[in-house]
Amino acid sequence: MNRRASPTSPAADAGSAATHTPAPTSTASAASFASVPSAAVPSAAAASTRATARSDDAHILVSGLGVRRAERWLFHDLTLTVPRGAFVAIVGPSGAGKSTLLACLAGALAPGEGEIRFRERSGRLVAPEHCRPRIGCVFQRLLLVENSSVLANVLCGRLGRHRWWQTLFGAPRAEREAAFAIVADLGLAPHTHRWVAELSGGEQQRTAIARALFQEPDLYLADEPISNLDTYLTGRVLGRLRQEAAQQGRTVFCVLHDPTLVDRFADLVVSIDPTDPHGWRVRPVRR
Amino acid sequence: MFPELPWYRCLDALSVTLLLFGLAIFFSLPTLRGSGRDLDYWENARRFLARFFPPDFSVTPQVLTALAETAQIAVLATAGALVLSFPLGLAGARTLSPRWLVTLARLALNVTRTVPSLLWALIAVAIVGANPLAGVLGLTAYSVGYLGKFFSDAFESVDLDVARGLRAIGASRIQAFQHGVWPHTRPLIWSYALWMLEYNLRSAAIIGYVGAGGLGVLLHGYQEYHAWDRFCAVLVFILGLVTVLDLLGEWVRRKVTKRAARAPA
Repeated sequence: MNRRASPTSPAADAGSAATHTPAPTSTASAASFASVPSAAVPSAAAASTRATARSDDAHILVSGLGVRRAERWLFHDLTLTVPRGAFVAIVGPSGAGKSTLLACLAGALAPGEGEIRFRERSGRLVAPEHCRPRIGCVFQRLLLVENSSVLANVLCGRLGRHRWWQTLFGAPRAEREAAFAIVADLGLAPHTHRWVAELSGGEQQRTAIARALFQEPDLYLADEPISNLDTYLTGRVLGRLRQEAAQQGRTVFCVLHDPTLVDRFADLVVSIDPTDPHGWRVRPVRR
Repeated sequence: MFPELPWYRCLDALSVTLLLFGLAIFFSLPTLRGSGRDLDYWENARRFLARFFPPDFSVTPQVLTALAETAQIAVLATAGALVLSFPLGLAGARTLSPRWLVTLARLALNVTRTVPSLLWALIAVAIVGANPLAGVLGLTAYSVGYLGKFFSDAFESVDLDVARGLRAIGASRIQAFQHGVWPHTRPLIWSYALWMLEYNLRSAAIIGYVGAGGLGVLLHGYQEYHAWDRFCAVLVFILGLVTVLDLLGEWVRRKVTKRAARAPA
């Protein structure tokens, strides 16, 4: 219950901070951050502590984020503080920049401006590109290895935990069993050893979700993870993600289109407006 | 009104090359003029081929020994080529390697492929002497040219976004390759390797002509002594070998690539 109430305050803080104060990082420092990540870490840490002076359970700190596509800003000066274990829904029409925001959070795309910091459980602040094994992604295009079995794909989730020579000849039995448990939980048990290429769209999507779940990351980034699933499986998958967030403190960012699902599962909603780069809003979901 | 294409739009790459090929045929016709002497081709063919029959199968024991040697040469050459082609194939894949390395690797592969296998065997004979080792070395060099190119193409055909996705969730470069690229290339590489084994078996039967071991040594000897009936016996064995291999290779390739082929494009 506590956790459900808590997102409200930091999010409101973040929203108001964004509207009242200028971007915490100048364009120049953002540019230098993009080119020399290590040099910019001290100033980044300082900026983040300023933003989160009052929220120690803040997990993700986004400040002054701006991404430009062609000549147009998709969003600009996006500032957001997300507490650990929150379920954040990202909404907005197609082409608004939802996937781009997720790519920034994953550290796969260097934003034009601003910065993203994760607070590790130790309290240290790190940039996303330095903690990839702890970020689980369900990509929009899934990006599964089609010529491998479902189990092999799910096992890929934990590659980042091991050195390459440890995974050269397959995963240990305990990991294979853990992976199978998740596969079975998502109703894919009969397909465990089938190739992903042979599965239906929904089964493939569940494989991608299973890979992320098996990773046990600190942060889930899911890009429309339920687009191919029926109502029952949608509830099951989002419920599982929500449970991961609430019980394990694994923050979830999820692109969703259905407002009823947003109301049912999300704690926070980030909406992006394709017509106005400053039109992004962060609002808590009241239940 | 239906938008008609202008006539020159019909000149796509296919029709232009077809046209050029037709011209090439026309200008190549003079090659067929022959020696100019008045020869009875049919009689010549009949007389020469008649010496092949009946095949003299009394040489079967020697042929079987040579056949085994041929197979050994082909197997070792293919294995050696596989090992060497893997890094070369990686280096030659435009999507995986820096430009200079790709240029270098592709150049090396092209040069290797340009030299015929018989010439490679000759070079090897000059270096290690006339024995099966020369055959292995010569065929290895030749096969690397082919397999390296095939492997490069196989690696290039992979959608790298899958590997990038694995990188995004923390996999190292090597892991991303092993789990994201290799599963897609594995069936291709095995089917190329099988094809190469077949090819090497056929080549290994010939390179004995320059002394590099195998059936070719027998062929060369029988030819020198005009023992065409024995020559024919060897040919029968080669035919049998190639047929068996062809069927076997086809079967294995179907098994290996069956599931890959079923994948949606």
